[in-house]
Amino acid sequence: MDIASSRPLVKNVFPVRTVLSQGSIHILLLFLAIIAVLPLFWSIFASFKSYKELVTSRDFFPHVWTLGNYDEIINKNGFGIALINSIIVSSVVTLSTIATSSAVGYVFGRYSFPGRDKLFMVLLSTMMLPFAVVLVPLYVMIVGLGLTNELGGVIIVALWSTFGMFMMRQFMQSIPSELLDAARIDGAGELRIFAGIVLPLSTAPMAALSVFTFLGSWDNFLWPLIVLSSQEKQTLPILLNGLKSLYWTRYEMWTAGSMMTVIPVMILYVFASKYFIRGVAMTGMKA
Amino acid sequence: MATIQRVLPRQQNKEKRSDYRAAIKKTLRKPQFWFGLMVLGPTLIWYFLFLLLPMIRSAWMSVVAYQIMDASASQFVGLGNFQKLIENPLFAIAMRNTLTWAGMTFLLMLPSSLFVSTALSRVRVGRNLYQSIIFVPVVMSLVAIALLFRMLMDPQTGQFNQILDALGLPESKWISDESSALPVMVAIQVWKSLGTYVVILTAGLLNIPHELFEAATVDGANDRQMFWRMTLPLLGHTLTMITVMMFIDGVQAFTLPSVLTAGGPGTATFMGNMLIYQEAFSNLRFGTATAGAILQLILILFITRVLMKAITPKWSY
Repeated sequence: MDIASSRPLVKNVFPVRTVLSQGSIHILLLFLAIIAVLPLFWSIFASFKSYKELVTSRDFFPHVWTLGNYDEIINKNGFGIALINSIIVSSVVTLSTIATSSAVGYVFGRYSFPGRDKLFMVLLSTMMLPFAVVLVPLYVMIVGLGLTNELGGVIIVALWSTFGMFMMRQFMQSIPSELLDAARIDGAGELRIFAGIVLPLSTAPMAALSVFTFLGSWDNFLWPLIVLSSQEKQTLPILLNGLKSLYWTRYEMWTAGSMMTVIPVMILYVFASKYFIRGVAMTGMKA
Repeated sequence: MATIQRVLPRQQNKEKRSDYRAAIKKTLRKPQFWFGLMVLGPTLIWYFLFLLLPMIRSAWMSVVAYQIMDASASQFVGLGNFQKLIENPLFAIAMRNTLTWAGMTFLLMLPSSLFVSTALSRVRVGRNLYQSIIFVPVVMSLVAIALLFRMLMDPQTGQFNQILDALGLPESKWISDESSALPVMVAIQVWKSLGTYVVILTAGLLNIPHELFEAATVDGANDRQMFWRMTLPLLGHTLTMITVMMFIDGVQAFTLPSVLTAGGPGTATFMGNMLIYQEAFSNLRFGTATAGAILQLILILFITRVLMKAITPKWSY
């Protein structure tokens, strides 16, 4: 779905009217864009201010730049370790989701076997299930497996993704069977066909799915909050939430911690915004 | 004759059986079968262990007095957990807050995202750039956003009140006041996830063939008529889907209220999921917690059904 190449909806005949209406649309969108990013930029600069300056000055840029806030949350509050934990959890979950979603999507999209569509509908229907329903039994199970306070306890419940399977299946259905049959006649094994033909054709939806999954895993709050209890095992959002009670109104710590949580994903977003947006636009395909 | 009649069905049976056997043998020889098994086997095991089994256990937990130390000793109590949950004064509060929250978010989010995506679909230069900037709050961690707004909305030192002061406007207590906390939280939620719905709706709008609008313009339709009579019905399925998405997300709100206000001030922003969390992990009452979760599932199924029925068929093409 390439938005840039689509033509505008209404062709206006009078250029003057076009300029006027296009101008007002630009003003509106510019205004919205500023509202969307202003809090981010404000807090980036605020994270370099001292507490005193943060609560007294109304200026956007710091008068005195300090790295003290970052120094303190990394060295005293373990944000460095939390960053590594977050990267581990999100990367493993993303890699696993990509692998499982593409393989399952391929099997459901290109193989035929009795009961295939019924089975897929059953799996798909679990998307309606609110997480709260499985929350308590899952916790009891994680306790039984000895995975409380372990990153593994967060990862294991996210190895498969129903949405990812659905998305990859939609895509795989568009791969021509003739192509796969030709490879079979040439004597290629199924694994080889999957890895050598199907996967290289699917890089675009895989990229969209991976940034989408990474973001979801990075921001995940409820489940890691329950599983990860000690500070050195926590992911960024959980540790960040802890600052609230640890540093009652020490806002310079809050801004620095927030930026540690937000900036890594933002860097990814700057380079791959196309895939983030494509991933979300694809949720619209569910209709 | 008689012997033949007796022998014939037996032979047929034999043939059938050998047919099945041949078919199974043929299937087993297929490399697709083994690849499919290799993929679907672990998948089904995972779905069984991490979704189906927890679902069944959840249903069971909601009707027993769950013994944490010895689960098998739990006694059946029927609907006792549901009764206990509903009698909890926090239940009605959480229910009211959750529904108000979901409804208000929807009422603000749908028109704003439609408005913004209409503007985006009409702009000729820089559409992708605008869209990716408006999408930025979606990418920001919700916990960070909650802390950030909590700080900006501090009644004494927060930037929001400083701005109001500078403009000569009366200060607000924002999330520290019982009457404004929930609406302010709705506004933050809309700011945070507007980008998601804008992206979906813009993609939907751009999928409508523009010849349709040209034809309508030739026929003398004005902008408003085109919006209500063409754009909205043509977006029908997308609109139904995002409405359902908004309500499902709304009913499950947890992160924002627990980080931003912890349900307060008082119980002004206390939500259903927070009650479930509190029952399960603060009070260790697994029975009432799962009962709450099952009520939430029923609510979601009900809302989805009603919405699908109410808004799809009549006005969508």
